[in-house]
Amino acid sequence: MEAFGLLVHGFAVLLTGKTLVLMMVGLVLGVFVGVLPGLGGPNGVAILLPLTFTMDPTSAIVMLSCIYWGALFGGAITSILFNIPGEAWSVATTFDGYPMAQQGRAAEALTAAFTSSFIGSLVAVLLITFLAPMISSFALKFGPPEFFAVYLLTFCSFVGLGREAKHKTVISMSLGLLLAGVGMDTVSGQLRMTFGSAELLRGINFLVAVIGLFGISEILLTMEERLALRGHAASISLRVVLSVWKDLPKYWVTLVRSSFIGCWLGITPGGAIAASFMGYNLAKRFAKDPESFGKGRIEGVFAPETAAHASGTSALLPMLALGIPGSGTAAILLGGLMVWGLNPGPLLFVEHKDFVWGLIASMYLGNVVGLALVLTTVPIFASILRVPFAAVAPMIVVSCAIGAYAIQNAMFDIWLMLGFGVVGYVFKKIGIPLAPFTLALVLGNRAEDAFRLSMIGSAGDLRVFWSNGLVGSITTLAIVLLFWPMIERLVGRIGQLRRPVKA
Amino acid sequence: MPQRSLFAMSQTDLEIVVEDPTAPEDDSPAIVSSGTIEIVVSLLLLALAATLGYDNWRTGISWDATGPEPGYFPFYLAIILGGASLYGLIAALIARRAAAATFVTRAQARRVMAVFVPTLLFCLVMQFLGLYVASFLLIAGFMRLIGKIALWKSLLTAFLFTAIMFVTFDIAFDVIMPKGPLEAAFGY
Amino acid sequence: MRIPVKAVGAATALLLSAPAFAGWEPTKPVEIVVAAGAGGASDQMARMMQAAIQKNNLMKQPMVVSLKGGASGAEALMYMKSSEGDPNKVLIAYSLIYMLPLSAKIPFNWRELTPVSVIALDQFVLWDNSAGPKTVKEFVEAAKAASSPFKMGGTGSKREDHVLTVFLEQKTGAKFSYLPYKSGGEAATQLVGNHTESNVNNPSENLEVWRAGQVRPLCVFDKERISYTSKVTETQSWADVPTCKEEGVDVQYLMLRAMFLPGKVTPEQQAFYVELFQKVTQTPEYKEYMEKQALKPIFLTGKDMVKFLEEDEALNKSLMTEAGFVAK
Repeated sequence: MEAFGLLVHGFAVLLTGKTLVLMMVGLVLGVFVGVLPGLGGPNGVAILLPLTFTMDPTSAIVMLSCIYWGALFGGAITSILFNIPGEAWSVATTFDGYPMAQQGRAAEALTAAFTSSFIGSLVAVLLITFLAPMISSFALKFGPPEFFAVYLLTFCSFVGLGREAKHKTVISMSLGLLLAGVGMDTVSGQLRMTFGSAELLRGINFLVAVIGLFGISEILLTMEERLALRGHAASISLRVVLSVWKDLPKYWVTLVRSSFIGCWLGITPGGAIAASFMGYNLAKRFAKDPESFGKGRIEGVFAPETAAHASGTSALLPMLALGIPGSGTAAILLGGLMVWGLNPGPLLFVEHKDFVWGLIASMYLGNVVGLALVLTTVPIFASILRVPFAAVAPMIVVSCAIGAYAIQNAMFDIWLMLGFGVVGYVFKKIGIPLAPFTLALVLGNRAEDAFRLSMIGSAGDLRVFWSNGLVGSITTLAIVLLFWPMIERLVGRIGQLRRPVKA
Repeated sequence: MPQRSLFAMSQTDLEIVVEDPTAPEDDSPAIVSSGTIEIVVSLLLLALAATLGYDNWRTGISWDATGPEPGYFPFYLAIILGGASLYGLIAALIARRAAAATFVTRAQARRVMAVFVPTLLFCLVMQFLGLYVASFLLIAGFMRLIGKIALWKSLLTAFLFTAIMFVTFDIAFDVIMPKGPLEAAFGY
Repeated sequence: MRIPVKAVGAATALLLSAPAFAGWEPTKPVEIVVAAGAGGASDQMARMMQAAIQKNNLMKQPMVVSLKGGASGAEALMYMKSSEGDPNKVLIAYSLIYMLPLSAKIPFNWRELTPVSVIALDQFVLWDNSAGPKTVKEFVEAAKAASSPFKMGGTGSKREDHVLTVFLEQKTGAKFSYLPYKSGGEAATQLVGNHTESNVNNPSENLEVWRAGQVRPLCVFDKERISYTSKVTETQSWADVPTCKEEGVDVQYLMLRAMFLPGKVTPEQQAFYVELFQKVTQTPEYKEYMEKQALKPIFLTGKDMVKFLEEDEALNKSLMTEAGFVAK
């Protein structure tokens, strides 16, 4: 029971007055950004990141992850009451959640959403708790070739499995990798792509780019739409909560299924969006009366919410364990870890036990406290939407600017943020995905360094990537994933040749 | 089935309603089509790829005794970026004749500019007057001029928000923000 | 070849008698600019000074640590250079002030800043995995006999660790492949995981893994042993680590840790900081830190400091030139 002992240690790290206050602050801020139009999980975390710069890493991550849980809870509020999904992964929640609210069952729907988010996260945290000690046991096996193979796997799976037009994914990723290379090359100590500018010397900061790409561009996009909204107000009484909870065991199949889908898609880079839709569709398919979905069925809230949260939470496991973010928010947390001087990856579990187990313990606590908080304060948060967007928009712009400036105290970064805001707006509108770009920007340097260190170590011999079972299997998997669409087609064609088409 | 009748609350009342008087009209004419923008973006990316590729070629793109030189990776990335942009350019040119999806309508563009221009001015003013004064001006101005919110509400909101930011960042968390003559007058 | 180490002047006494300047005092929070990433030796030192100043009430204004490790620290240098006349920024500098302008052609010269004081000297130690050779002699023999060169981990390219590796090669005739990692911590864990055969980390960077019995210090690159005699591991103290010269490899290198203000500040402002850091070196926090990190105590200021910097720069320049690290 190594995991249990470490977890208890994690709680000990956490249970100080200061940390608990930070948790509450984080949760409230999180629900706040989750409810506000034009913000949401990743943007909220990116903008609030500077608050944590002067904290020690454990307090910082506790606060940030609580902002994240809060934002996830907050997203459900707007989906159900206003039919506005705060995040793409809340879209499936609106299918049955909003009809429920229209029927006057808003409180029931909200309770279902919060409870299932809680269950989904809990299952994912349990998974992390028991997988984490295994990671630290093979952490020291990771040298440069192993690291490179893992990065390669991430990049290849994005190109191979992404649903966007391939050339757009490639544009996005190569642009990110190129911009990651600006500044000093650590392996040779030489400058590149700086064109003699002192501002470009330090490179293009990942977080500045993210604040522009997501924060500023989101405001521009939000303004294009009609911002009028009509919604339901709801307050949750204890009686509703208890009656929903009493019925929970009836839906255990849905909850287990969705948790499983969520964990699986969170750890492999599938993401919460896919998880929520898959959870919903499977619940519908297995139901005796599928046509009652979409008309205000409580299972239609349980299924996507559980899956989305299980996936959002388990996405933190590859981020901590391998340094590969499984979601946009995980990528920003990864950027944060680097600011605090922590190197995400297997060694984190060896070098910074306090940090890792403090974070895992905070996931348990944050979810419990978060659930209690949102159940009691929904009316207050729902009324935030009464605040006109003309007041919210400039405040978000100011928060973005504070965030972008505070990272490196550089005025140049403000302009960079604005530039990335425009780029993000245009890219989103013409369908160039931003996820590969952010991933490449955050991992680019590490991938290149790992490759070149491997080359120095092996005197330029590429066979080092197949030099042992661990690195060999990861590299091979990466290449298979890169060519996955072709392989799939090939397998399909062979299958067709074997059995003649029926009719 | 949950027993709905037990806790059916105050029925189907819409309690929160927010209007958007300046919303873009749905029938506003398109300014530019997505295809055109795709072509422009592809051309810009091609130019960027060429510039970065050239710079890296100068830095050194060969493979020496200890593995690739600093320019090696970025050079080939620039080529990949260039190739993908070229593909995108051709695809957009071909698709152009078929369908013309709207990139932005005139009404939408007006609204987007209504945020973008103030943001740009905000960044500019920040260079001279510091972040806090600039954000006060941005919030108050935006609320008053674009949101048509009462002047006193705008000024009060802007002042409160700016003050909270100042206390949170500069005082509580020691995160130092750019400041201008006003803060200097108060000794910060 | 011999790398001389300069005698430490007794400038301390001079300063103790300096009158308290009633003149200038900071009116804004003071930034300590760190030319390295978070968690590295410079960052730790900056945070120690921040704590020492706050606990002992040495200054009215708070001190803020500002990390500018971009471009291997060049970001911090350019930041200081562009802050001319601003007395609320202090740089915590190390040998990068000589090396970066040479290796990466960064337009920077330490003479553009205002020197305040040298506050410590950092040692370098040759380490190997505790499963590896037990003495320098065995280590060198094993390195020579190896079919592919031994891998030497270090921080950054064309910097202290890299220079030391080149001189180790020249002195011993063994070949090493130098692997530039991002931080000393990473170099340490990679040595523990046997991905490298050795590294030349500072004492503080390998302290934890040494205590865990995972690495072994072979020798210290100084002309005398480290002075701290309290036990670090079960059996050994820093003073038990032999010098490399004792072990027949005559390579010596020490790295300065010094404070600088931006250029064009007034003498009163400079004097304030000289006095401030003088006081810092007498706090228990500073003393405890020096021993824990096995740093060599020193305090130089004024003319002594400039003389030290000039000699140190000449030395570093000749080392860099010899190693072939000066950019054309």
